[in-house]
This record gives sequence, C-alpha cells and structure tokens, in this order.
Amino acid sequence: MSSNIMILMLGVSTFLGAVALMALLWGLKTGQFDDQSKFIDGARYDNEEELRDAVMMEKKKKAQKEKKEKERNYKPVD
Amino acid sequence: MAKVKCTHCNLIFDESAMIIEKINNETCHFCCHGCQGVYHLLRSEGLDTFYDKLGATTLTPPANTLQDDLEKFDLDGFRNKYVKIRPDDTNEINLIIEGIHCSACVWLNEKVLHKTDGIIEATINYTNNKAKVIWDNEVINLSQIIQTIRSIGYDAFPYDPALQEERATKTRRDYYARILVAVFGMMNIMWIAVAQYAGYFSGIEQKFKDILNVAEFVLATPVLFYSGWVFFRGAYFGYRNRIINMDTLVATGATLAYIYSIYSMISKHGEVYFDSVVMIITFVLVGKYLEVLSKKHAVDTLDALTSTIPTEVMIVHNGVKSLVAVENIAIGDIIEIKAGEKIVIDGIVTEGAGSFNESSLTGESVPVHKQNGDIILSGSICLDSVVQYKATKDASNSLLHSIVTLLEESVTKKPKIEQLANSISGYFSAIILTIAIATFVGWYLHDGNFEKALIISISVIVIACPCALGLATPMATLVGIGVSAKRGILFKEASFLETMAKSTVIAIDKTGTITEGKPSVVNAIIHKEFDHNLLYSLVASSNHPISKGIKEYLEERNDNLKELKLKEIQTLQAKGTIAKYNTHSLAGGNKVLMKELGIITTLSSKHSLYFFAIDGMLIASFELSDKLRDGAKEAIAKLKSMNLEISMLTGDHALSANSIAKEAGIDDIHDSLLPQDKASLIDTFHDKGDIVIMVGDGINDSIALAKADIAIAMGSGADIAISVSDVVLLDEKPQKITEAYRISKRTYQAIKENLGFSILYNAIAVPLAVMGFVYPLVAALSMSLSSLIVVGNSIRIKRIKFDKGDKNE
Repeated sequence: MSSNIMILMLGVSTFLGAVALMALLWGLKTGQFDDQSKFIDGARYDNEEELRDAVMMEKKKKAQKEKKEKERNYKPVD
Repeated sequence: MAKVKCTHCNLIFDESAMIIEKINNETCHFCCHGCQGVYHLLRSEGLDTFYDKLGATTLTPPANTLQDDLEKFDLDGFRNKYVKIRPDDTNEINLIIEGIHCSACVWLNEKVLHKTDGIIEATINYTNNKAKVIWDNEVINLSQIIQTIRSIGYDAFPYDPALQEERATKTRRDYYARILVAVFGMMNIMWIAVAQYAGYFSGIEQKFKDILNVAEFVLATPVLFYSGWVFFRGAYFGYRNRIINMDTLVATGATLAYIYSIYSMISKHGEVYFDSVVMIITFVLVGKYLEVLSKKHAVDTLDALTSTIPTEVMIVHNGVKSLVAVENIAIGDIIEIKAGEKIVIDGIVTEGAGSFNESSLTGESVPVHKQNGDIILSGSICLDSVVQYKATKDASNSLLHSIVTLLEESVTKKPKIEQLANSISGYFSAIILTIAIATFVGWYLHDGNFEKALIISISVIVIACPCALGLATPMATLVGIGVSAKRGILFKEASFLETMAKSTVIAIDKTGTITEGKPSVVNAIIHKEFDHNLLYSLVASSNHPISKGIKEYLEERNDNLKELKLKEIQTLQAKGTIAKYNTHSLAGGNKVLMKELGIITTLSSKHSLYFFAIDGMLIASFELSDKLRDGAKEAIAKLKSMNLEISMLTGDHALSANSIAKEAGIDDIHDSLLPQDKASLIDTFHDKGDIVIMVGDGINDSIALAKADIAIAMGSGADIAISVSDVVLLDEKPQKITEAYRISKRTYQAIKENLGFSILYNAIAVPLAVMGFVYPLVAALSMSLSSLIVVGNSIRIKRIKFDKGDKNE
C-alpha cells in the first residue's frame, strides 16, 4: 500500500464525515431538534395539505417583506 | 342508560344528558355547547381531519371563557412587558398554550393560527406547550389572536422568555453542538488509534505513522479548541477566583498532552497522545451536558408558575369597581377577590369571609377560614365567597412576588459550585501541577536543555492525569448513581453524592415528608350501628380533606360501598355538610355544626373531630390527624446514629409540630415558618459552616430546597420542588432518605480509595517520569492497569447491603 492511497482514504472519509457533521450542526442551529415529540410526529402530518400550508406561510412572509419594502421605498411627491 | 362519546372531546357521558344534532345524516353527540361550537367551527374551516388525527385521545371541553379580560392584551403596559418588536416591524410574543393533550392539538392550533390573516409565523413546541407567534399589528391585534385560540377550546398565557428560557435553550444547544463535534472526533481517532497501536506492537514504517499522526492531529484540534472551550473558560474563571478546579486539570492536561503530541509528531520521535486528549474532553463534556439539561427543566416549570399569576386585580374605589394592573396597586387600595382567584397582593380582610387554600405557602392542605381583620397572604387561593380586603403591600413586596424572584435567583446560582472546587480532585491537580513545574525547573537547571525539560515535565502530567484522576471520581459516582436509581433514588448530578456524604445537617419538612400530609382517622367511636353507605355518600359529596380522610377510612373497612342518591346537599363553610336521604336528614361536620343542630357532643381532642348525625341523633364520632409515615421513626433514628444533626421545619403551628416531632424523635423543631423563613434558616446553618441537606415536597419548601447544598424532593411533590431539587425519591418512604445517605457515604469511601490508589500509582509512576524514564510501553501498560483497578474498585459499591425492612418490593 502506498502512502498516497492511505492519505486519500483518510482524507476522503474524514471529509465526508465532516460534511455530515456540518449538516447535523446546521440542523441543530436552525432549531430542527428542539422538539423531539413533534419531530417524530412530523411523518404523520406530512401530506399535500401540509405542503400547501407551508407554501401559504411562505407567501405570507414574502408579502410582509414586500409591504415593508414598499413602505421604505415610498417617496412622497414633492 | 347508554353511555356515548362526545363527538368533539371524546369524553363519555349518559346519552340523556347530551346535545344531539344531525349533521349530514350523521348523529353527533355533544357534552356541552362549547364542544358543539368548536366542532362546527372546525368543520366550516375544513379542519375536521383533526378528529382523524386525534384518535381516541380525550380533550378538555372548552370552558365558557370570560370575554371581558380580552382588552388587557392590547393595553400598553401589557405590550411593553411581553411583546417584542422585531426589526421588520412585526410583533413577536411567547405564549404558553393550555389544554394541549396530543400532537393533534398542536397541529390544530398551528393550522388555525396559520390560516388567520396577519399571522406570519406560529410554532408550538409540543414538549413544553410553548408557542412563538409573529404577527403584523396593522392587520390583527393580540387580543384577536388570543380570541382565535380560545374559540377552538384552548387558552393562552403570555410569558417572558427573556427571563431565563432563551438562555437555557441556548446553552443546551451550544453544549449539544460541542458534544457532536467531540463524539465525531473521538470515533474517528479511535479507529486510527487502533492502527497506531497495532503498528506499535507489530512494527510500522515511520512514513505511515506520520500520516496517521497528522490525521489524528486534524481530528483532535477542533475537539480540543471547540468542544473543550468550556474547560478553558472554567479554568479561566477558576484562575480569576484563585481556585484550582477540575476544569483547570482537564484543560491543562489536555492542552499539554496535545502540545507534547504535536512535538512528537514533528520530531518523529515518541508516541502521540491525541486519542487521550479527545477522550478526556468528550467524557467530561457529556457529564457537564447532563447538568445543563436538568437546569433547563427547572426553568420550564418556573415559567409555568409565573404564568398563572394574574396581571390585573379588581379594585373598589368609592363603590366603583375597576380592573387595575397589579403594578399600579397602592397600599390602602380595597381589592375584591372572587372564588377561585389567586391572591397576588398581601392584605387584611375588610369585608366578607371565606376559606382560603394556603397549601402553596404552608404545605397544609386544610383550608383556612378568614374573616374581618385577618391577614391574607399572596399565593393563597380563595375557595368560596367574594371577599374584599385592603392592600398592605404593593405588588413587588408581596409574598408571592418575592417567592418567584427568590426562586429565579436560586435556580441560576447555586452555592455548590464553590464547594465542588474544594473537593479532593482540586488539591490533587494542584499537587501534580506543582510537581510538573518543579520537574521543569529542576531539569532546566540541571541540564540547561529547555526542550528536554519541557518534554519531561509534560510527560509527568500526561502520565498522572488521564487515568488516575479522570476515572477515580466519575467511575465511583457513576456506579453509586446506578445503585441508587435501582432503589428509586434519583441523583440529578454525580457530584451530589460527594456533597451529600460530606453534609452535617439534615432539615426535614413536616407535612408530606415525614407525615402523610393528609388527615386520617386515628380514633372512631360508633355510638349506634348505622348504614355505612349513608356516611359514605355524604363524605363523597365533599372535597374537604377531612371528608376525604373519612371516606378512605370507610373504604378500608367496607368492601362494597355504594353511593346513594342524596338530596339537598348543602356545604356549610367551615362547619360541614348536610343532606337529605328519603325522609332522613343527615349531618356531618365539626362541633360548631353539631351545636347549631342542637346535638350535644362531649368528645374533645387536640386532633380534628368529625361527627355524624342522623335525624338529630349522634351516630358516630371520629378523630383525625396527620399520621407519621411508616418507618419515619426508624429512619430518623438511623440518620441520628450516622451523626447527622436533624431539624424539622414546618409552616404548621407549634402544637401539632411538637407532637409529630416527639413521635418521630426529632428534638430541633422550627414551627410556623413561611417559605422565606425556611430559606433563611438554611442560611443560618450555612453561616455556622454546616453542609445542609433539605428534604421537602411543596412549593413552600422550594426556596429552602434551592438554597440547601443537597435538596431531596418527594416524587409526588410539586413540580417546582422536584425541579429545584438535586435528589428525587420516587417512592416516598422515609427510609429512602437514609438509603440515599448511606449510598453517598459508600460512594465517597470508594472515591477516597480510588484516589488513594491513584496517588500510590502516581507515587511510583510520577517519580519515574520526573527522572525521565517514561518509556511508551511502560506508560501504556501502567495506564490501562491503573484504570482497570479503579473500575473494579468502583463496582464494589454495588455490593452495599440494605436492611431487610428497606427492601424494595
């Protein structure tokens, strides 16, 4: 076994592991593990209706943002 | 009669009592108009899939909500206190939602809030029923949001997360991330280390060894500096307070082993110790994390307590009633309190009389009758009538407020931290560090070779630290915790075993801890034979603790008691109950009631009395008192024999406190104590230099529990008491207190043995290291051997014997 192969194996596997670790840390930081019970129940309430609901909330947030944008850019006619 | 389920809440009732309605060829049954209303609302909103999700879970029927408190949510004072304005001008509030039973409830609440215009975000945490709602105040206001939640049968209270929760959640998340990194690093280093060790024994080329060393270095670096950050911080705080603590040892040990390993990696000389660096950090960090978890739980219950405190009270001014925010109440204002309301301001009764439940203050479950001129304390609950009273203190000085503030303070800063630093490991780490420094100076002066002196002094720490100390204490406490958990004693943190073993004073609450906390019949005189069902039905109609005591007494003695249909049941405050059965009139109550009915009673006793009369004739008399728990006396005697000083603290009056104390064999009695008196008593013990154990069960004990070095709570006690305590007894036998103390003593002994052995090991290994003879093989062998001995000795704790009487069956 050449030392290059060994470096490659160690490097690739550690890198892949680190990517998975980063993903996990990201999930933790965004609060996806804050509520275990809900996390487990998530699968039970996962259908088209929930998707529509999520889309609706996204739209609401966007609308709110746009509204603020408009207010900020509002220039009275002088 | 047929029993059917309510279509909305799933509770079962008689069909005749229900509202029947035909909806789309389906017969629906409703137990009340509230349920019916919610059902129609959900159907019209297209949310009836809620019932499929709900399954067989039962709900609380929606209460007839008082609509008149809604406007308070839009008051400025309220908004300033709870509502946060976000940078994009939206509002944010944290609510505790009441009435959530299952995940379907969470789903429904989120769904309904999502559908409401103007609500931009709504998330509910199922574990603690806390919700975060973000909304646009131009579209909807808070009272409308609360109204929406109420309309579907739930209720919401605001709470202030800035208080503590946000901080606690943040630390928990932070620790979790650090542990993830540490575990990741450890797992990967372990399999690289396997190759290293295999190579060590069967030979390995230096170039492969170098690759492995670098890989270990890459993995160990984030673990030491990211995960191990808490230890560096702890060591820094220790340094500022001139204390050498466990953190100092972990931090210096790990850092020096790390530096040493880097040196041998670069110089291609000797072995690397990256694996021990990572292992020390990971294991000690996991232990710290468990500590943080229990603190988070305490904060959750504290928020629930504060959220039940009313923010407004009714005041009467020149005959006009108005709602006023609690903060604006001045001394001298007349406050009106209705049945079921919680008192927030201390005062003196001016008009009316009624019973008050003071159990959260004194621990006594028997209601207290208050009339003109009597003092009302905040925290008590008015049970029956409408009472007016004059405020004698303002909100911030009232009792309830001070309890909550005191608790908040004590949850965040416990006195134990300083004591932990004084434990044996602290001294030990100081000695090792001194030896290491002396070695460095000695070699440097002797040889003049800086590099050699540094390497030898580091090897002193490396050989002494990980095995001898890393395992001696944790291993013993781990086994000790395991043994006690099997016996129904939960230690929340390992270090408590050590502190408990060192304690000198034990303070015990009376009601609910050494007594059963409820009156039970101690003496019964039957004047004339009678149908027990009559008395049973009469006492069953009342919730008074005395009636409950009689009921239990009858149930113990009779097998098939039946509840008869009594008519005209009347509860007379502070007297008893009267009722009619067929043509007979029944009366049960105290002396006053009997006197009013013209019945002569001759019995007198220091205990509570209950008389039962049929048609004006005395049939039976009962004496009731709070009984000592089984085995309490023996447990107290045993604690005494183990050289513990025992004190009894109680909110009860001197007479009953003395008689119970005499029975239990306690000499030091402190009676008529309010919650903060108990706490200040703990402080006086501290001032005398004692280490105090406090045993209690109620809200009234919670400040004292938080102040004590070791707090033991009864498993059935109030949530708040359990969460501020360090040890929880699952079954409430007083013997368990003795057992807990014995286990802690035994564990402490094992810790001392382990440390003694480690010192012996170090006495041999450290001088060798000091002299510069640390061969890697010797180091590896002696390290694993010493660990094995420490583990084996700790397991011996499991062989602790308990008395036969204490057996857990």
